[in-house]
Amino acid sequence: MIIKSQSRRRFTGAAALAAVALGITACSSGTSSGTDAEGGSGDVSGDITLLTPIFEGTDGQQLLEDELLPQFYEDYPDVTVSVDYTTYGNLNEKLTTAAVSGAVPDVMMMGVGWIEGFADRGLLADQSELGNTEEKLLETYTPAIVDAGTWDGGVYGMPIMLDTRYGVANMELLEEAGYDAPPSSWDELVEISEALTVRADDGTLERAGFDLLSNDPRQVFETFLFSAGGDLFNEDVTEPTFNGPEGVSALQLMTDLINEHEVEDIGFSSPDAAVNPLLNGRAAMGLAHNNLWTQGLEADPEMLEKLEPFVIQGEGEGMFFGGTFATRSATSQHPEAAQALLEFLASPGPALAANEQRGNVPALTELLDSDYVQSNRFVQFSMENLDVAKREGGPPSWLEVRGDFAPAIESALLGQAEPQAALDDLAALVDEAMARQ
Amino acid sequence: MTSTETPAGAGLAARNPAPVRRHKYSRAERKLRRTGWLMITPALLHLALWTAIPVVATFALGFTNYNVFSPPQWVGLQNYVEIVQDPVFRKATWNTIVYTFWTVPVSMAIALVIAVALNQGLRFQKWYRTAFFLPQVTATVAIAMVWLWIFNPQQGLLNAFLGLFGIPGQAWLADPDWALWSVILVGAWQGIGIKMLIYIAALQNIDGSLYEAASVDGASTVRKFFAITVPMLKPATFFVLVISIINAFQVFDQIYVLTNGGPANATTMMTYEVYRSAFEEFRMGMASAQSVVLFIFLLFMTLVGRRATREDH
Repeated sequence: MIIKSQSRRRFTGAAALAAVALGITACSSGTSSGTDAEGGSGDVSGDITLLTPIFEGTDGQQLLEDELLPQFYEDYPDVTVSVDYTTYGNLNEKLTTAAVSGAVPDVMMMGVGWIEGFADRGLLADQSELGNTEEKLLETYTPAIVDAGTWDGGVYGMPIMLDTRYGVANMELLEEAGYDAPPSSWDELVEISEALTVRADDGTLERAGFDLLSNDPRQVFETFLFSAGGDLFNEDVTEPTFNGPEGVSALQLMTDLINEHEVEDIGFSSPDAAVNPLLNGRAAMGLAHNNLWTQGLEADPEMLEKLEPFVIQGEGEGMFFGGTFATRSATSQHPEAAQALLEFLASPGPALAANEQRGNVPALTELLDSDYVQSNRFVQFSMENLDVAKREGGPPSWLEVRGDFAPAIESALLGQAEPQAALDDLAALVDEAMARQ
Repeated sequence: MTSTETPAGAGLAARNPAPVRRHKYSRAERKLRRTGWLMITPALLHLALWTAIPVVATFALGFTNYNVFSPPQWVGLQNYVEIVQDPVFRKATWNTIVYTFWTVPVSMAIALVIAVALNQGLRFQKWYRTAFFLPQVTATVAIAMVWLWIFNPQQGLLNAFLGLFGIPGQAWLADPDWALWSVILVGAWQGIGIKMLIYIAALQNIDGSLYEAASVDGASTVRKFFAITVPMLKPATFFVLVISIINAFQVFDQIYVLTNGGPANATTMMTYEVYRSAFEEFRMGMASAQSVVLFIFLLFMTLVGRRATREDH
């Protein structure tokens, strides 16, 4: 009996210990490790984390882990990088949960339009305090790109890659219809699109004259807005201007292309379409992402010879750019190691490799002469026209409202709302979000 | 003057009945109780950490403006007022109700028919049961990807099938007139498996002598189904109804993958708006308030279900 009692006591004691240990483990699991020895070798060291929406997929992962990081470790053998892969679709969730848990990654890749919000909330380190001043960056990047990484006088993001949207025309089809150049105005765009639209006898669309639907509706609208000479926000980014006359005419044009000129039907394509209709001949023209070239190399290289990029011309020049910037957490436990990784990833060699893997546009002006850019006509076109390209974003609340654009634009395209009303409603939401800041 | 006062102390005694004697535990009982508490401590800690605290926090955050990056600010009922006035959340609520209204009874009816059929001792019965249950244990994201292909206007199976009969295809997920129905179809299909399983278990508990007696009385198969099977399945039916309503109100994955709530919010649901508020707009206070509204809906539905099943308990 005594033995049994002692056993039971030992067991209950062990159970209590286990319970307490479990509780402590649960409570502490969200905190960053921070147990590594900084400065073990007297130089830069530490275990750091990298959150990245680029380098996705097997190829991207191999590039980062088998080629780039080993190069980084040659210079920084005492630094260990843990990579957290994600997509742009899930990046918001990752960053939000990281901020809530206090485990913000040391280095974060984020997009154009994202910097302002996270910099405003104190999440990002100011690079200008570390020598990466705006003036210095302007020596190697175009002003619009540098601007996308700055907020309130500070530099918070180092540009790595850009992605652009512009018009692409299948010149073989245009020439067959008697046009020897892509449209140089909205009127020409409408005229050529109508001429190249092909429908079956029963009305089923067989070839779109102009494909609007293979890209995110927000980015398509922004490209047309820019081509109308408009902007998303006023100059000091205090109020939305996309619902002004330029924005309304841009959305009206998009609506008319589908509902009046019937150059494409709703549902004919979508941003997640397996093959872009420009690559399989189901569209004569369209708004396209620069990585259409890389897709074309895999799908149909011969088709690429027929495709001609063009800036959509209206009252202004319609070319959109987004991109990926490297940022560093303001609360990193290993700021030197994180800074070293950030600067490594933004340097010419790794940046070029990352761009090549995704078919994107290098942000560094000097890479215009690289073999990759010279062999990729769409990327080359993007780099040659970056001076007319405009970006999205502006206010810190941009991330909060950008998701509201698609429903508003879709409601106009579907005829549920007039363009002016749809954009006014959207502007009211944006105003509310900006007021909450 | 006639006194009607009660004797002093009588009222007090009435209000304070004699104290119940506390049961004195023996030493062995106390040890046993202590051991019991220690044994359930991990579960209690788990429950407190991962359920109770988040639930209380959700209710509290619903009264705040909390954007994750700065401390919550008390805003009272402002989030709830905004929810009531927000046309998108109203649309999401209506969509959720329509989705629930159609997916729950349709999938329940189909599940019942399949369960009855599979309870007849068919050949390959186990294979059929597995096949019908498979959607339940397959990741919704994977299922949604398959349905994305089925609904594809150009290369999709559905339009190709309709084309065989000369019926023109539709842009199932891009057309606001069809998008919600397409999502409902996926939801109804996916929910059949678990309901079928519960019905099969319930069918196997029905006393076979009831059917024998009905047969002796000359009842037809249809008559036996409606006079014996359906009434005997009533407890299972209400159980299935309640869990199906709860599941339907929590639909998220298939919306996230199939439509992202579009086109033009035609398929957005309450859970999807909670997600958007939290992770796209960084409005955790608003997301918490929306979650509370969803919780109230579910609580109401559950109470209705419980009330309806009270006679069966």
